[in-house]
Amino acid sequence: MAVAAAAKVQEVREITRIERIGAHSHIRGLGLDDSLEARHVSQGMVGQVAARRAAGIVLQMVRDGRIAGRAVLLAGQPGTGKTAIATGLAQALGHDTPFTSMAGSEIYSLEMSKTEALTQAIRKSIGVRIKEESEIIEGEVVEVQIERPATGVGTKVGKLILKSTDMETVYDLGGKMIDSILKEKVQSGDVITIDKATGKISRLGRSFTRARDYDATGQQTRFVQCPEGELQKRKEVVHTVTLHEIDVINSRTHGFLALFSGDTGEIKPEVREQINGKVAEWREEGKAEIIPGVLFIDEVHMLDIECFSFLNRALENEMSPIVIMATNRGITRIRGTNYHSPHGIPLDLLDRMIIVPTVPYDEKELKQILSIRCEEEDCQMEDKALEILTKICTETSLRYAIQLITTSGLIARKRKAPEVGIEDVKKAYMLFFDESRSIQYLTDYQKQFMFDQDDDLTSMDTS
Amino acid sequence: MSDWLTTLKNAKRTCIQQGNLRKVHYDLPNGKEMVEEYNMDTGVVNRRAWKIKKDLGGEGQWLIELGDPEPPGLSGEQVLIKENASQPFVSRRVTKRSLEWRIRNLPYPIETYSVTAEPENKYLTVRTTNKKYFKKLEIPEFERLNILPEQSKIEIQHKFNTLIITYEKPEVLKNFEKALFDEIKTLKAKHEGEMDCKPS
Repeated sequence: MAVAAAAKVQEVREITRIERIGAHSHIRGLGLDDSLEARHVSQGMVGQVAARRAAGIVLQMVRDGRIAGRAVLLAGQPGTGKTAIATGLAQALGHDTPFTSMAGSEIYSLEMSKTEALTQAIRKSIGVRIKEESEIIEGEVVEVQIERPATGVGTKVGKLILKSTDMETVYDLGGKMIDSILKEKVQSGDVITIDKATGKISRLGRSFTRARDYDATGQQTRFVQCPEGELQKRKEVVHTVTLHEIDVINSRTHGFLALFSGDTGEIKPEVREQINGKVAEWREEGKAEIIPGVLFIDEVHMLDIECFSFLNRALENEMSPIVIMATNRGITRIRGTNYHSPHGIPLDLLDRMIIVPTVPYDEKELKQILSIRCEEEDCQMEDKALEILTKICTETSLRYAIQLITTSGLIARKRKAPEVGIEDVKKAYMLFFDESRSIQYLTDYQKQFMFDQDDDLTSMDTS
Repeated sequence: MSDWLTTLKNAKRTCIQQGNLRKVHYDLPNGKEMVEEYNMDTGVVNRRAWKIKKDLGGEGQWLIELGDPEPPGLSGEQVLIKENASQPFVSRRVTKRSLEWRIRNLPYPIETYSVTAEPENKYLTVRTTNKKYFKKLEIPEFERLNILPEQSKIEIQHKFNTLIITYEKPEVLKNFEKALFDEIKTLKAKHEGEMDCKPS
């Protein structure tokens, strides 16, 4: 009995395991109501009411899609929810609006110039909705078989049997397709469509022939007829591609050279010009619609002066997206120069931005965030332990306190306790240093560390 | 004689001769491309393919209308989803007297199949009584010349896991093909290995 239960848990894990818990995976949106007012605790967001309301207005601006090339700066101390707000905005925008997220340091690559990397990021954030004829497979799932090799390593093998009222076919699945089938939790009896070119799966509902196992399904399950005729059809579908994707399709080297070209590398400006022309033409003919999205640059102070001046220019283009940047710097040196400027961003670019400040959380909000994270990380915590953790949080930092959740959870599990107690949090606090205790330790034992004298030299230099 | 014949006559054509095979490439007015391969001994088309261009650009793919499909080869693309190798697939060929479809990997006995002509939709439909296979077979030649399929001209055979559907060519098609072949014969063909300039 116990063995059977364990096996069942294993199975459930297998299916839902695909998404791991990230730093911002508890965020499901901006937590705004219909009039774009911020609810105090909603969709994983806590506090930061003014900044979220501002983000709500930016959201409205993006949705309207009429204003191009605005820049928004999220500025605030570390751990005040800048990236969380950007993630929430991305969630609120939904699937169809392109949202590109990058870190300021990502543009430094040996394969690509800085401006090329920025151009690609900008073009990834502009979507084009276009009608295209594509091959669609539509049918009722008879069986899904996914097998992994007995050794545990190597590629998975997948088979999908689909049927219509007139025929039945066995399909082989590639690795990507297997993942999306697992993610969509496709089961036998579902009626699905698969876009053959992009691999996008959409679930139409459950087949009427399966209506008898109604009690096993949710209330909201929709029942549909099993499709007729051929499984594979040509249909006009509307889909969104980004300008960058069109660039890539058109810049591939032709013929046998395509075998050797792996990455796209740099894309010629002529190709881009041609595509811009084409897209404008489609828009005039009513064949396509442009969806300006959002480009989010985290740690924007890592960009240097050249990038800033490039951005200045790029924002003026009417095809440019809304650019949201985030920084945790105060008045500091602009990278690549010796000038100081607020947020490490030149004044002329700052002048073009609207700045949204984020403020440190108060104790009550910190407690709420910690309890949301406890839930997300699947960790039962006693109220008292949570209070201690909040205290640690106010004295050290929010990030450190969040790190202690899973670690103390593991400590509690070791002593087979169902909930995390004060003891466990204390133990984790003793085991793992936070930043200020680490600094304290270093200053106390400075003399015993390596290359100690170097430090003296530099301090002599500066004085 | 027909619009299609004049279109083909006016198209920009390039012709190559390889042994007794003559390959003709047509650049059609609306940006389409077509390639045909003729056997000069019998005067029959062995292969015909169309280039499919996508709106979004990029290198198009060849769609085989007649003859055996291209082997999968060294395509570096990752497969998302494709039919299992054991599943039925259709290949077409043309002989002097008839159009033929061969549907391979169909193991069921001949009584299972029914092939019907559907003049209103201009295609043939293959059905199976056990509901395992269903296919609409388009007849591009008929569509181009505006011919409607007739039930009485269909014959089916089943051999070696293959369903063979034979359709007797109508006179109109025969005349058209003869006229086109006469035209092909007059084209100046480049022979294999021949070049425009002399490489040093």
